[in-house]
Amino acid sequence: MKRPVRIAIAAVLAALGTAFLLYGIFSGQALTVLRKATLICLECIGIG
Amino acid sequence: MAKAPRVKGEWKRLTVQAAAFLLMNPKLNRFFLGSIETGDTKSVCVPGLNCYSCPAAVGACPMGALQNTLGRSGKPAFPFYALGFLILFGLAAGRWICGWLCPFGWVQDLVYRIPFFKKIRTFRYDRVLRYLKYAVLGVLAVGLPLFSALKGVLVPWFCKLLCPSGTLFAGVPAVLAGGGALRVGFLFWWKIGVLLALLVLALLISRPFCRYLCPLGAIYGLFNRIALTRLDFSPASCVSCGRCEAVCAMGIDPKTQFDSAECIRCGRCSRACPTGSLSLRFGVRKKEDHK
Repeated sequence: MKRPVRIAIAAVLAALGTAFLLYGIFSGQALTVLRKATLICLECIGIG
Repeated sequence: MAKAPRVKGEWKRLTVQAAAFLLMNPKLNRFFLGSIETGDTKSVCVPGLNCYSCPAAVGACPMGALQNTLGRSGKPAFPFYALGFLILFGLAAGRWICGWLCPFGWVQDLVYRIPFFKKIRTFRYDRVLRYLKYAVLGVLAVGLPLFSALKGVLVPWFCKLLCPSGTLFAGVPAVLAGGGALRVGFLFWWKIGVLLALLVLALLISRPFCRYLCPLGAIYGLFNRIALTRLDFSPASCVSCGRCEAVCAMGIDPKTQFDSAECIRCGRCSRACPTGSLSLRFGVRKKEDHK
């Protein structure tokens, strides 16, 4: 893969990743993760 | 007894792995309290496969976050938040995260160092089996949780059926601290079986879970070619001694597969190379490929 292509793909993905993250925060997905992560997820650990 | 091939300076990586575990799980006293950390930092994904139900964890596992944001209010949803983290982590480090930060990768590295009657570098179906992790990603981490979301419930199938990190760092401590209060059933014993099978395999083969089953490794591997943390190879100075291949934790040939999705950037090859032909670097690669 040529260097300019590599850099272009990385730049587009960096912008996309940042946009996804910000949209995720503002759409309430960060809160969904927080709610899930602050309770023992019994099904996650093989009990529920 | 066969011993794992040793490389100079490996203690540095093991120290970084231990430090990463402590950074992601600093509340060690919670292992004895039977409760988990509930701070706001748990909304932030950590780079490695670090269960958020681990009592000491202060962050969220990106695979758990991905599965739990695939649906909302009984409808499927696009997991923007978890995917944002995965893309940014992948771009910065690719599978370097597997080699240096992942708690379960660290456990497997420690187990592989135990002398055993045989150590296997590769075997007949090794290459084919490596595609399994993409199936695990597609079916258990995305497909089935999405199908469940369509039915109006969110089930993190990968965590539920397979994740050995969750069993080791969250399931077992929860059951031990619960003192019989938690009723364990078939599912728990199934996951204990998966964990034990992987630990026994890790005595024989380096990092069996990372090679064949880890969906997080499958995602990060896709970024290896463009990630800022990279492995460089200079063919001009290579003397083809084969040391890099002999010590590779993932059983690949670093000379020809330095950009492979299988490389976990552990740097064992670069430390074993007598001519410095292989090097672990950070930044944008200057040359176009390695010709």
